Amino acid sequence: MADKTDVKISVKNLKKNFGSLEVLKDISLEVTEGEVVVLIGPSGSGKSTLLRCLNQLEKVTSGQIVVDGLDVTDKHTDINKVRENIGMVFQHFNLFNHLNVLKNMTLAPVHLKTLSKEEAKEKALQLLSRVGLADKAEAYPSQLSGGQKQRVAIARALEMNPDIMLFDEPTSALDPEMVGEVLAVMKELARDGMTMVVVTHEIGFAREVADRVIFMEGGYIVEEGTPDEVFNHAKEARTIDFLSKVL
Amino acid sequence: MVMIIQTYWSMLLKAMGRTLLLCLLSLVFATVIGMIFGLMNVGRSRVLNFIGTVYVDVVRGVPLIVLAYFIYFGIPAGIQSLGFTNFKMGPLLAGTIALSMNCGAYMAEIVRAGIQSVDRGQMEAGRSLGLSYGAGMALIVVPQAVRTMIPSIINQFIITLKDTSILSVIGFPELTNVGKTIMGNTFKNLQAWAIVGIMYLIVITILSKVSKRIERRINRGR
Repeated sequence: MADKTDVKISVKNLKKNFGSLEVLKDISLEVTEGEVVVLIGPSGSGKSTLLRCLNQLEKVTSGQIVVDGLDVTDKHTDINKVRENIGMVFQHFNLFNHLNVLKNMTLAPVHLKTLSKEEAKEKALQLLSRVGLADKAEAYPSQLSGGQKQRVAIARALEMNPDIMLFDEPTSALDPEMVGEVLAVMKELARDGMTMVVVTHEIGFAREVADRVIFMEGGYIVEEGTPDEVFNHAKEARTIDFLSKVL
Repeated sequence: MVMIIQTYWSMLLKAMGRTLLLCLLSLVFATVIGMIFGLMNVGRSRVLNFIGTVYVDVVRGVPLIVLAYFIYFGIPAGIQSLGFTNFKMGPLLAGTIALSMNCGAYMAEIVRAGIQSVDRGQMEAGRSLGLSYGAGMALIVVPQAVRTMIPSIINQFIITLKDTSILSVIGFPELTNVGKTIMGNTFKNLQAWAIVGIMYLIVITILSKVSKRIERRINRGR
């Protein structure tokens, strides 16, 4: 196990209920710096909820989540400040429809004064060329394909210069021919050492990029390990059953 | 009919001016009221939700004419009975309050519906970047909501312009009230009310045309 100082995310005994429905029952997990963790599992297993708890888009019912040494479940923590450091990419992109690509990217850093207008614009253009969309700076979201939207969404999150990136089924809403371009950007990010937690059904991506694969079902972590351990030598019957359906 | 116009044209135009003044003042205040109560209704605070709902339900549940009587006669009577015997409220003030409250309640509903029509993911994306709830509302949700709200707002403005006529009952000399005066002087019911009706029609038609143009311009930027 890595040194304690390398821990970026630490989750202890996390529980989350929606009304009487228990979505997360008892989750504990640690993510270290530069690690790529992929969450897999059937729908309703709680993997997206877990991801959304990490940046407090969902309030936890009980348990503790520490990100970069800050307890985000503590009311006194400035959650907005913590979120600046955690990028999130959504299944449905959630680009701001009334703003062009450049404004989508520069809105938050300029408003929060983490960058000046000029710096934000310069950085946005760099990031856009990194995701292969340098020519789309002035386009509106409605003029982009799904794959392009998702790459802009990734670039928008990177504009805040986060230490951690969360991906919530980033390719699930895409046409099959566009999945590759988004995964390519994510692979590059992983190679550059970004700490990533990814909810996905892309087993190929998990095999290739993940340092650790976590299989969830029914609100619990059922099994975790390296891609080889989980995909090729799963121990739990439920994991084997799930994998037999998706592989 | 020509005779009435020749004799009363300046009185009619002034009355129209007062109608527009009353309408304009009320719309400004109603927009502010609508924004405040509409935002209260979509927020997460139960207390604010409750206040917002009560306001909308109470005002929508009382006829405008009763609200106008209450504000113009009822409230001054109440204050006078407390010992402030000199307290008076002018019909313009009372009319503006009544109309603003009334239109404000409907505007609050328009604001609420507009904001709820914006996908929740928009706010979540803003929050995930570190924006506060207020910044997310102001920079992301409201600008998108306004676009869907505009047709309803224009519709509400037209209704409010017509509702100014109800305030003739508290003696404010707006167009309908002046119509009554002219009718009383000339006993020409048909002509007097035709003229008044046509004047409303002209102004409202102009207003609708202008609004349609504004609406189209905003939609083009989408």
